[in-house]
Order: sequence, then C-alpha cells, then structure tokens
Amino acid sequence: MNTVMEATAPPVVHSEPRRPWAAVFALARFEARDLLRYIPVLVALVVYIGYILWGLLSEREGMDAFPALQDVDRGTQSAPFLLGIALLVCVNRAALRSRRRGTDRHFDVLVMEPWRRTVAHVLSVVPFAVLTALVVLGEFTWEALKPGAVGHGSVAELAVGPLYVMLCGALGVLFARLVPTVFAAPLLVLGLFTLSVFVSAGTSDAEWSRWLSPVVGENSTETLPSDLIGRPAAWHALYLVGLVLLAATVAVLAGGGRTWHVKAGVAGALALTLTGAVAQSGGVSPELTAARERATATPEKEQSCIRHGASTYCAFPEWTGRTGTWAGVVDRVQALAAGSAAKEQLLVRQRFDATYGLTGDTTIAPLTAPHQVTVGTRWGGNRVPEFAAAVASVLVAGDEAKGGELCDGRMVTVMWLALGGAADPIGDLKNVRLDDSLSGSAIVLAPTNPLSMSAGQTSVTVELLKRPRAEVTAAVKEHWGELTAPGVSTAQVARVLGAEAPKGADECEA
Amino acid sequence: MTPTVSASGLSLRYGGTRALDDVSLRLTRGVTGLLGPNGAGKTTLLRVLATAVPPDRGAFTVLGHDPATSRGRQDVRRSLGYLPQTPGFHPDFTAFEFVDYVAILKELTDRGARHREVRRVLEEVDLGDVRGRRIKRLSGGMRQRVALAAALVGDPGFLVLDEPTVGLDPEQRMRFRELIAQAGEGRTVLLSTHQTEDVAMLCNRVVVLAGGQVRFDGTPAELTARAAGQVWSSTERDPGALAGWRTGTGSFRNLGDPPTGADLLEPTLEDGYLLTLDGAGAEVAAA
Repeated sequence: MNTVMEATAPPVVHSEPRRPWAAVFALARFEARDLLRYIPVLVALVVYIGYILWGLLSEREGMDAFPALQDVDRGTQSAPFLLGIALLVCVNRAALRSRRRGTDRHFDVLVMEPWRRTVAHVLSVVPFAVLTALVVLGEFTWEALKPGAVGHGSVAELAVGPLYVMLCGALGVLFARLVPTVFAAPLLVLGLFTLSVFVSAGTSDAEWSRWLSPVVGENSTETLPSDLIGRPAAWHALYLVGLVLLAATVAVLAGGGRTWHVKAGVAGALALTLTGAVAQSGGVSPELTAARERATATPEKEQSCIRHGASTYCAFPEWTGRTGTWAGVVDRVQALAAGSAAKEQLLVRQRFDATYGLTGDTTIAPLTAPHQVTVGTRWGGNRVPEFAAAVASVLVAGDEAKGGELCDGRMVTVMWLALGGAADPIGDLKNVRLDDSLSGSAIVLAPTNPLSMSAGQTSVTVELLKRPRAEVTAAVKEHWGELTAPGVSTAQVARVLGAEAPKGADECEA
Repeated sequence: MTPTVSASGLSLRYGGTRALDDVSLRLTRGVTGLLGPNGAGKTTLLRVLATAVPPDRGAFTVLGHDPATSRGRQDVRRSLGYLPQTPGFHPDFTAFEFVDYVAILKELTDRGARHREVRRVLEEVDLGDVRGRRIKRLSGGMRQRVALAAALVGDPGFLVLDEPTVGLDPEQRMRFRELIAQAGEGRTVLLSTHQTEDVAMLCNRVVVLAGGQVRFDGTPAELTARAAGQVWSSTERDPGALAGWRTGTGSFRNLGDPPTGADLLEPTLEDGYLLTLDGAGAEVAAA
C-alpha cells in the first residue's frame, strides 16, 4: 500500500557553510581534555614532568653544571617513554569508546564522518606532543643557560621525544581501527618490545636495525664535538615523521576515509618513512671517519690555543670558553708546588678518542712530551680532581707517561698537589679513586692512564689532607727537592712531612 | 510548500528478508507515529530515513536534500535528530559533555554558541540541574532524556525517535510524552513505537507498517474509525473473532466481523491498529 500525505511544512534551511575541519579540531580538543581523565596518562604526565623538574632543580655535585649540549639534546629522548606508552593505550581506548559503548550506530548518522573522528583522535595527541616539546625545550634551555654549558644541540635530536609521543598516539588510533578491541594495545606494546629485542639480537644490533627504534641510545658516555657525533638525527626525525604520518593515514583509511587524498597521504608517508629508514642506516661516511681520526691523532690541527697566566690551553672550538676553568685548577695545583714546578709553563691539550664515534669508550694514551697535560671533553664532578691529578703528576714526573708510572713516595706529593687546594680534599680523594676508598691501595683516575696509590701512600695522603693546609704547604715547599726526587720512599716523604709512615708503604700494590 | 520528508518506493532486503517493500511517505510538521509489530520494518525505515543505511531501491529527500549524494547526505544529517532504539552512552561523561560531544559531531563549531545550545536542550528536557552529573549516575529515564537532548541539539528540522518510551515507568513515559509533544512543535517528528497510547496522545498522523509495507497512513481518528462496528463484547470468547481477550470486567472483547445482535463497543486506536494488521498481526498483538 502506497500512501501520500499532502500536508506541507516550510523547509528548515541550514544556510551557514559547513566547517568540517573546525569540527574536527573541536573534537580533537575535547578528546585531548578527555585523555587527561585517564589515570595512566595523568600519572605518566606527572611522573615525566616531575622527573624532569627534579633533575633540573635538585642541586647536585658533579657534571650537571658543565653540560655538553650535543649530549643534552639526546638526553631528552628517553624521559617521555612512559607517557608514550600511556598515550598509546589510552588513545586506543578512547578511539574504541563509541564501539565499546554502543554509540557507533548513533554517531554514524551524525554530520561528522567516522574517518574525520579518526583524524580527531590522532590530533588529540598533538597537545601532549606539544607539551613534551615544551618540556624538552625547557630542559634544553635550562642546560644551555648554565654558565658552564658548551657545544651545540640538534633540533632533530630534540624533536625525537615529541615525535615519539605523537607516534605512540597514532599507533593507538591505528590499532583501534585495525583490531577493534581494547586488549590489542597492551598486546601491541608487549609485541613491539619483544620484536625489538629479537631484531636487536638477531641483527647483532646492526646500525640499520638499531635506528628502527624510535629512541636510539648510545653506549658511550664520551662527549664528542657536535660535528664528530655522526648520528643521523635529521634522517631519523624524518623517519619518525614518516611513521607518524603513516600510522595516522592508514588509521584514517581504515576508518573509512578512502579518498584519493588519504591514499596519496599513505603513499607519501610510506615514502618519507622509507627514505628516512634507508638514509639513517647508511653508517658513518668516509669523510666523518677521516675527521674523527684527524681529531684523535692530530688534535692540534683542529684546536685554538689560549694563554692563561704562564700556561697555554688548547681546546676544540666548542670548548674554548672552558679554558679559564681549567686554568683555575692548574693555578690551584701550581700554588702548592715549589721550585720550577710552581712556574712551569704547561700546555694543556684537549684530547679524546673519536675513532669509534659514540659506540664505545676508549682510553687515550698518555702524552710523552714534557709539561703537556691532557684534559677531556667532560668537566665537573670527578673530572676536576682527575685533571688536577694529571697536572700534579706532570709537575712532579715531567710528563704524563712518567706520571702514570710513579711508584714511589712522589705519589704522595702528587696527590697532595692535586687535592690539597680543593674545597673538600678528602671527598675528592675518595671520588678520584676507582673504588671510592680512603684506605688501601687503589687506582686513581686521570684523563689518560690512571695512577696508582699503595696502601701506605694512601694513609700518608689522607693524613696530610686532614692537617691544616698552610702547615703542609709550607713543609712541601720547604722540602720540594727531596719530595720530588725519583726513588724517594713513601717513608721518607712521611718523615719529612711529619706523618706516620706505615709499613710497606713503598709497595705499588694496585 | 515542501514536505519535510518525501520518500518514494523505498525497498531494502536483508539477505532473503524484505525489510522494506515499496514504501512511500510524505511527512510534514508535527508528530507522526509509526506503528507496527516486531519485524515490521519500523527500525529499518527509520535507519534509512536517518541515512544510516541506503535503500536498495527508491529515493527520498529530507528538507529538499537528497541523501543519495555524499553532499546531500551530509545536508540531511545536518537537519536530523536521531534517537536510536537502544541509545548508547559514554558513562564517564557528564550529561553536558555527552550532548556537547554529539553537538561537535553535528559540526556545531562555535564553542560559546554550542555550549549555550547544549544548556538550552538540557533545560528543554529538564536536565539543567544535573548537567554536570556523570551519566553512569543518572536513572534510566534521565539517560533517555539525555539521548533526547542529544537528538534535539542543533535544532534539527527532522527528528527520528525509535521507540523512545520503551523501558520507562508510567511516570517517566508521561514526562517523555510531554517532551516529544514539545519537540514536535515547529518540526517534523517520526516516532516509532509499540505503544498505541503514545500515538493516541502525541500524534497527529499515524503510519502502520507490517511486513515492510505501509498498511495504513492517516490520522489516529481515521485508524480508530477503521474498527467501528468490528468490536464487540461477549461473555465467552467468540470463535469467529479475529482476536479476543478477557477484560478486567470478566467479559471478552472481540475484534472482527461481529455476529448479528452483538453488543458493539466503542473502538479504540489499538482496535483499529490490530484490525489493520489483518488478523495475523492482531493475533500476535492481542496475545
């Protein structure tokens, strides 16, 4: 039966133009606010920001006051790890909300198409990525503004944290569209972790597989000049941008947005990802290898030298501002010495082994030229007494190589010179010894080969460091010739300086 | 003057089942009731008109927009308020947030105007005082009103309500009827229901659907009049009746062709509806 009702009504005309993207942004804002109600996101945010603030604001001794910005940028990448995981799981849950709550049937007849809702879910992560970027920027700026900061940061390295957060969110949305169950996201996290372990083990952590991970750490704690680091940071950032776009566009495609724009977006994102992936796995270029070898073997060709007082300080360009700090330590050590050592014109040269880049820590050989001292690229904390020990050993033994071979009472003089003028000499002695001990024999760290202290030398040094500085200084200066004579025994040194000489003090046991 | 909805020859199959069979309709301002037994095709018709599923055959327009095209479909959706049969909710959202969410999906983009509109519709369904309460803490009747508010947000010209009074207690149902009557002022409402009381109280027009086909289209009075002379009372169930049941007074109310001298009764809308279903439906409905 067909019927027709002829009554009429005036049409309601919606004359205002559609603003679909404004609605998408409004929805993204709504979803972003909603994400803050998820406990994992909230906790991860608090932990992330709290951790960064604690790191920045807590007053700690050490190298914090002398950051190298080419390390600081990389150091910002791992802190948002937890936030990314929380977002992956919670964005996934939010993207599945309509399905879980049975509102899909209703929402599917509303104006905004499902694929635009998918876009909004991806965009809802943007505020968190922006927040991460602000935290990263704040963290970097804080470090960069420290008077002791050196070097240059990389925008590409700084971008990794925010891009990682964005990638996690986009993956959460993608999985919601591909596997519409909330159990998929936690399994995805576990799966990705397991996969990364297997790939890493299966490829022996090869360069190409290492860089497939969003955040790529380094084993080395060495600091290199920015131009010798050789991390393909820009390509990696491009790779991450490609991954974010790929996850987002495939999610939109799976969400019903099968327009040619989206398909072209998928193709473009795939191209970006592959370009970044291939380019970042190229390894170290021959030019960079050559530059690293030059800087390692003939640093003088790359350095600028600055004179402070009687001594000369040669540093790579990014460290020239730090030569004054080094000079302060040299002056402090020389102030405790006597004879020609007190006025010795030292050449302090910055050195490192960049042969293997950041993939491993290597020890550099001591200098054999007289009156030359090595200083590293890191500064602050233990590096200060280590450098002071090197300076003192050169003043006493003549050069670094001989300083490393000291095995007599001169070692007491070296350690007195190195630490006698420090603000906390006992603390520094503890720190500069490998085992953090104040008794027994031990290795004493230095920029090149370590020194060694016997148990007797340790006990005499500790006693001297505990006595009034002026008294010991006067005694050292008075008996300088005897204290620095090759072959002088620890017992003799102790006797001259009025300290008790333990039995067996001359044995180099370390 | 244009009808709000103009449908012609709508047909839709689900597998081997003909859910809609050549349905033509013209809906105008006011509340139109859509009556029919389970499986009559009511929800399917509503979903077709709400652009949730396209018909296999036939065409329709809503406020002059043709949903056969992508742009037309979006225009229809802009003019549409839809309350599904079993509306879902996001229980952790407040009533305000849920309606605001729907408003965003309706592409109301100006934040200030949208929030005013959300407050307006929540006031309209008498939920202004609890708009900040989470949906999981609202009663079933309140939730249903939240769903109605979500359908009303954006002031749609065409409102599709799929069995909105199911599961409500009599007091809530009465309150809901008031809201639907109010919503029907100035717009076109298509109300699917099992309840003939809903139609009698609310609708100025009624369409009876059975087997995917329109069996009746007219006013409630016309549907009631169909049963005139076909309802009678007897002390025992009349075997010649299409349907009959014992009433609260102990007598039987019979529908069909009355025997000579039968004690004829005043027909109701339900009598007209049951007789329109050609007996089989009446049997079902009366059972």
